Amino acid sequence: MSPRPRPELVAEGYQVSRRPRWVELATTADHKELGQILICGALGFLFIAAVELVLMRLQLLVPENTFLSPVGFNRMLSMYGATSIFLFAVPFALGFFYFVAPLQVGARGTALPRLGQTGVALYAAGATILYATFLFTPPEAGINPLAPLSETAFLSNNGVDAWATGTGLATLGFVFLAINLVATLRMMRAPGMAWRRVPVFAWAAAVSSWLLVVIGPVFLAALTMLMIDRNYEGIFFADGSGGAPLLWQHLSWIFFTGAYMLLLIFAFGAIAEIVATFSRKPLFNRNVVMASLAAVAVLGTLAWMQNMLTAPIGIGWQYFAMLMSLALVVPFGLILFNLIATLIGGTLQMRAPVLYAIGAISMISIGLAGELVQSLVGAAWHLHNTTAATAATHFALIGAAVLGGFAALHYWFPKMIGKTMGETLGRISFWTIVTGLLLGFVPLFLAGDDQGQVVDAYKYFDNAGVTAYNVISTIGVLILFVGILLTILNAIFSRTNGPGAGHDPWAGDTLEWFTLSPPEPHNFDVLPDVRSPRPLRDIREAIGHRTRREQAAAARESHPVA
Amino acid sequence: MAPHSPGTDQIDTLLEIGFIAATILVVAINAALFFAVRRFRSQRGAAPRQLLGGRGLQFRVGAVLTIFAALLFVLAVVFTGKARQAPGTGDAGLASAKSEPLKIKATGQQWLWRYDYPNGAFSYYKLVVPADTAVTLELLSTDVVHTWNVNDLAPKADAVPGKTHKVVFSADDEGVFEGDSSTLSGQAYAPMRTAVEVVSPDEYEEFVKTQLSDIEEAQDRVVSLIEEGKTP
Repeated sequence: MSPRPRPELVAEGYQVSRRPRWVELATTADHKELGQILICGALGFLFIAAVELVLMRLQLLVPENTFLSPVGFNRMLSMYGATSIFLFAVPFALGFFYFVAPLQVGARGTALPRLGQTGVALYAAGATILYATFLFTPPEAGINPLAPLSETAFLSNNGVDAWATGTGLATLGFVFLAINLVATLRMMRAPGMAWRRVPVFAWAAAVSSWLLVVIGPVFLAALTMLMIDRNYEGIFFADGSGGAPLLWQHLSWIFFTGAYMLLLIFAFGAIAEIVATFSRKPLFNRNVVMASLAAVAVLGTLAWMQNMLTAPIGIGWQYFAMLMSLALVVPFGLILFNLIATLIGGTLQMRAPVLYAIGAISMISIGLAGELVQSLVGAAWHLHNTTAATAATHFALIGAAVLGGFAALHYWFPKMIGKTMGETLGRISFWTIVTGLLLGFVPLFLAGDDQGQVVDAYKYFDNAGVTAYNVISTIGVLILFVGILLTILNAIFSRTNGPGAGHDPWAGDTLEWFTLSPPEPHNFDVLPDVRSPRPLRDIREAIGHRTRREQAAAARESHPVA
Repeated sequence: MAPHSPGTDQIDTLLEIGFIAATILVVAINAALFFAVRRFRSQRGAAPRQLLGGRGLQFRVGAVLTIFAALLFVLAVVFTGKARQAPGTGDAGLASAKSEPLKIKATGQQWLWRYDYPNGAFSYYKLVVPADTAVTLELLSTDVVHTWNVNDLAPKADAVPGKTHKVVFSADDEGVFEGDSSTLSGQAYAPMRTAVEVVSPDEYEEFVKTQLSDIEEAQDRVVSLIEEGKTP
């Protein structure tokens, strides 16, 4: 009895490219290449954002320091905000979504590849415009340039125009990428990949993309109004004459709050995949986790006025913002509960991706608890715009985008490159980042709460009683910088020198591990019928069953019963 | 933060409630995480065990979280409500502010705070108010958004151009309370500070009277200099 042929992957070798590599990269519409371009760009800008943060912290090392000029500090601050949000965090998350999500749902490409290509080009254009400002005048109106400070009456140089153009082009690019992801995840799933079987990370990609499709245009509208105000004598954000400075705050905070939620959704999506894979278990109650991710997107964005609790808006709106923020306790709590419940009873292998994932959960929990206190209206009247707010945001967003992002990087790097990232350097980098984050931002919680140290200020005074906090914070941020640099170097060296990885180095359960590492341009030669959320486990089990059966048959043949 | 008014007392209490809630969450999450990671590291040959627990468990966890959030919401509404209640003027307070609060206009401008008192006097940087007296501060801005922040005495509040934002407080002790601005307003944002000096009602009356007469005297001198043609 001859055994049936086993399922096997059939793939042609790479076709010899006739064009130089850089031309290929510049003209590609392949989601895997574009995803990697976004991730590389994001890591580069992460390094630059970290440098800017270090420079600002050095200015704040001692009271009344003169290391940076007041305008220099404001420019550094504005560039840091734009870089960390628009050039690092959001494209980093989108890069992983763009690379991984189509593979996870078994798509052989994306639905609107040229739209995605345009999106990446717009991101590159936005980044170029923002950094070209160092040739003339960088923006200086702050991380969120509140009108009317951002109007020509107060800042007449071109910095704010460049800020609006750069972030606007990047945001338009993100919206294009999101539209493509929505279409791909809607239309191009493999046979049997019903929504209830879609991997959690791909679900996070869908939720984030829908979120971007909603919040991106809101921000673009606000930027357009700002540009009309600045260049065509508009009055959208001017007081009197029918305009309203608070309009800018509403529109921009809808976007920034939504982007914040997007980063958390990205991180929890990646963490859920990693924790389940390395515990050798399915995600505990994945339906609840998926519903919670969607709830976070909706409730979180509706809580935008949490950033405006000291503004002259009605107390009813303030309570509404607080209600939405507090309602987030339920979905975030359920996500964390189910992630920890996934660990329980599992057999956890402490490899670098899972180390980063667990660190991310821990740091995000500190950040979100800090945000919880600030969402209480009365408490916000003390904490708003203090360094305690900075600390909470940084714990949540460095936890999500850096630690969660690095977890994703270590986890999917073998799929992208075919090589594994250095494990030892990964661990050293992890502990350095966590130490730096705790040292760098816990003192800011204390300075903000005890002494009310204000954000965005280029100096503080000797009698403010915050000197010790700021010295420790600066040391912590330097350590954080070293930790981030180590992972970037790790990725660069592992690209050529990392230990080779097979198509499925972690024994993952989702479809991206079914194809080669790196995948062929068409992703899959064959696709299995998807019958559960864990198609690869089904295949492994089927092969295991059949192998055992064949071995038993072979044993019977070679030793026939006499 | 060292509260010196009835309103900031409530804010302080709410902050403490918030910190207790935050601490409970952080400790519970990280302890559970630490325990789970320690206990369930892989051992050779160990097979992962499935946890049982379905919809009922999720509903119970969800219910606990909902109760936690609802409780916080109610507490926050109660204490925020108390914090924004208009305080009354006490017996030791300013007599003229017994029926309705003392109204002072605070104007933020790049990069200075100006205070206008009811009798027409004004002062820059330092606000002088009588102790144990209800004060309504009307926050205005002539240019960009500024945040008035003297956190020992009153909730911080934004001065937005084109809008009037009212802050009510009543200082219960005499003394000087430092404050600052906490919304980025341009180059000299960090040194745009302020201070509130709380004095006895008599000293306050004295202060506004001298301040007004000093201002009038100075204005008269300027007018006379202009009339004599001695201005540059």
